[in-house]
Amino acid sequence: MRHGKYRFIIGFLAIPLALYGVLVISPFVQDFQISLTDWTGLTPDKHYIGFENYRKIIHNHLFWQSLWHNVLLLLIVPVVTLALGLFFAFMLNVGGRRKGSASVAGVWGSGGYKIIFFFPQVLSVAVIAILWQQIYNPDPDEGLLNVLLKGVGIGGQTWLGDPKLALACIMAVMVWANVGFYVVLFSAGMASIPTEIYEASLLDGANRSTTFFRVTLPLLADTVATGWVYMGIIAMDAFAYVQLMSVNDGGPNEKTDVVPLLLFKTAFRDNSQYGLAAAMGVAMLIVTLVFAALTLRLARRDRLEF
Amino acid sequence: MATVTFDKATRIYPGGEKPAVDGLDIEVGDGEFLVLVGPSGCGKSTSLRMLAGLEDVNAGAIRIGERDVTHLPPKDRDIAMVFQNYALYPHMTVADNMGFALKIAGVNKAEIRKRVEEAAKILDLTEYLARKPKALSGGQRQRVAMGRAIVREPQVFLMDEPLSNLDAKLRVQTRTQIASLQRRLGVTTVYVTHDQVEAMTMGDRVAVLKDGLLQQVDSPRNMYDKPANLFVAGFIGSPAMNLIEVPIVDGGVKFGNALVNVERDAVQAAADKGDRTVTVGVRPEHFDIVNGESEGKSLSKDAPAGLAVTVNVVEELGADGYVYGSAKVGDEDKDVVIRVGGRAIPEKGSVLHVVPRAGETHVFATSSGERLSD
Repeated sequence: MRHGKYRFIIGFLAIPLALYGVLVISPFVQDFQISLTDWTGLTPDKHYIGFENYRKIIHNHLFWQSLWHNVLLLLIVPVVTLALGLFFAFMLNVGGRRKGSASVAGVWGSGGYKIIFFFPQVLSVAVIAILWQQIYNPDPDEGLLNVLLKGVGIGGQTWLGDPKLALACIMAVMVWANVGFYVVLFSAGMASIPTEIYEASLLDGANRSTTFFRVTLPLLADTVATGWVYMGIIAMDAFAYVQLMSVNDGGPNEKTDVVPLLLFKTAFRDNSQYGLAAAMGVAMLIVTLVFAALTLRLARRDRLEF
Repeated sequence: MATVTFDKATRIYPGGEKPAVDGLDIEVGDGEFLVLVGPSGCGKSTSLRMLAGLEDVNAGAIRIGERDVTHLPPKDRDIAMVFQNYALYPHMTVADNMGFALKIAGVNKAEIRKRVEEAAKILDLTEYLARKPKALSGGQRQRVAMGRAIVREPQVFLMDEPLSNLDAKLRVQTRTQIASLQRRLGVTTVYVTHDQVEAMTMGDRVAVLKDGLLQQVDSPRNMYDKPANLFVAGFIGSPAMNLIEVPIVDGGVKFGNALVNVERDAVQAAADKGDRTVTVGVRPEHFDIVNGESEGKSLSKDAPAGLAVTVNVVEELGADGYVYGSAKVGDEDKDVVIRVGGRAIPEKGSVLHVVPRAGETHVFATSSGERLSD
């Protein structure tokens, strides 16, 4: 059997590796090739212009602003989403007051809350974006938020039309849309922690916050790290949310522009600068790789056993 | 140090009618080692968890010392618990595990370290203090769980089957260690186990529970010598006591082809209740083999005295052996276990004639299961 081993391994690896090469690696290579040309994407002529596109990007104020927005999303959205997800999951599973038989239980009605939290997850991004556009509607008689504000006697906002608020508004929607998934993910993680460990911490005199920070959170570290990677990827993209919700695609005043949207506009609208857009893609790839490497580096730790 | 009192403590699980623990009434003395024992589902763990505050008390009260702790949260009860699966915090080192309670209580670091190191020394854990639980063997984890309890210097130790996850040999070894440690520290301890050998060997007193009801609380010796009812008689002792239903005759009870003298009062008491039979309990070591000799009080002259037992299986343990046989009592075959000397093991299939040793029989009422003999 021994000499047949490699044939066996190669037999299984060949197809997936070939698919990976054609569908994943080759577009990257192609993207890099295109980024070195002045191709418009519409005509067959293509001229090699070296790193001219990269020079343009470096001097493009809009690119840096968009990248900064991505970085903001990357810093804020995962932190808020994961923190809220952890908090809700903790309250739903172990944060409740003791009642009846269980010494460790969630708050009252936690089963129902779980469904409500998960609800946004089943809606598509397009539906969510339209829904929130209506909520953010600046009309004082139609926009849900402004009607509510008027009800308590505060003047309305323009929300997505306000350069200072627009990005925060979009971030809030991204958090809202994703938090439910993490409530469910972290609930599953918490359910796998044996009840005795919570009981032991109760006997050791831990209150809710001590239990959360000293016991639950360290035991969930692996799950949180996984969630961080997913959320990071969503934040790096953000294309759909911004494209659908922002005024004038990344407006007002490009205050909500993100790199993927800028890339899209560059490639398909603004004079079809396909080569330039490809260079942005390469830049984005580098940023993503750095993020992934950092996350995996920080998340590397001993596996816990119960 | 403190006493522990269960005062008619009752636990009814939501949705259930029958109490899991029904009016439990036990007083545990200061520094005493009390073992709660019983078959699974008897309410022993529930009782312990009620004392720990992990389980509500629906009726009655629980007191530690003079303090009524019935409705206090676990952290205010000044107790420490050892769980069956140890419940160590997987992300903390042994030292952190042991010092966690003190850290929460705000004890200063030097003091925590001192107490953790002291406990580690007692438990032979000093070299493992920096390790995580997963790098420890089962026995070491068990000792860490003990250490976590000791470090707190609580008023009461609670132990919920702490030896169940150890292999047989380690269990016997650890059993002695825990018992001697408890004597040394003098901390009141309530210990739950399903293993009657553990109960007998470790406890100052043993409490037997069945279906949430306390059957008997007594010292291991008394529990063995004077079981209060049929259940305790059958539960305590290994192999179990032989319990044989025999008819009441004039002057005693008829035991196979022999008349066994039992106290007149006992038989009278049964007869008064309208029973025509009593259940006689004889421990395996309390049978005398009377093969051929007619020293027993035969009822009929033509058959040998005693109960005829056909040997089915023989377990040889070296020092002695256990004979598992069947005997015809009345109209039905009953299984009987007899201890025999290690040098006098009978053949399989042979027939032994046995009589219970005088004064070592236990008589129980067949109907109520209550002990009749003194």
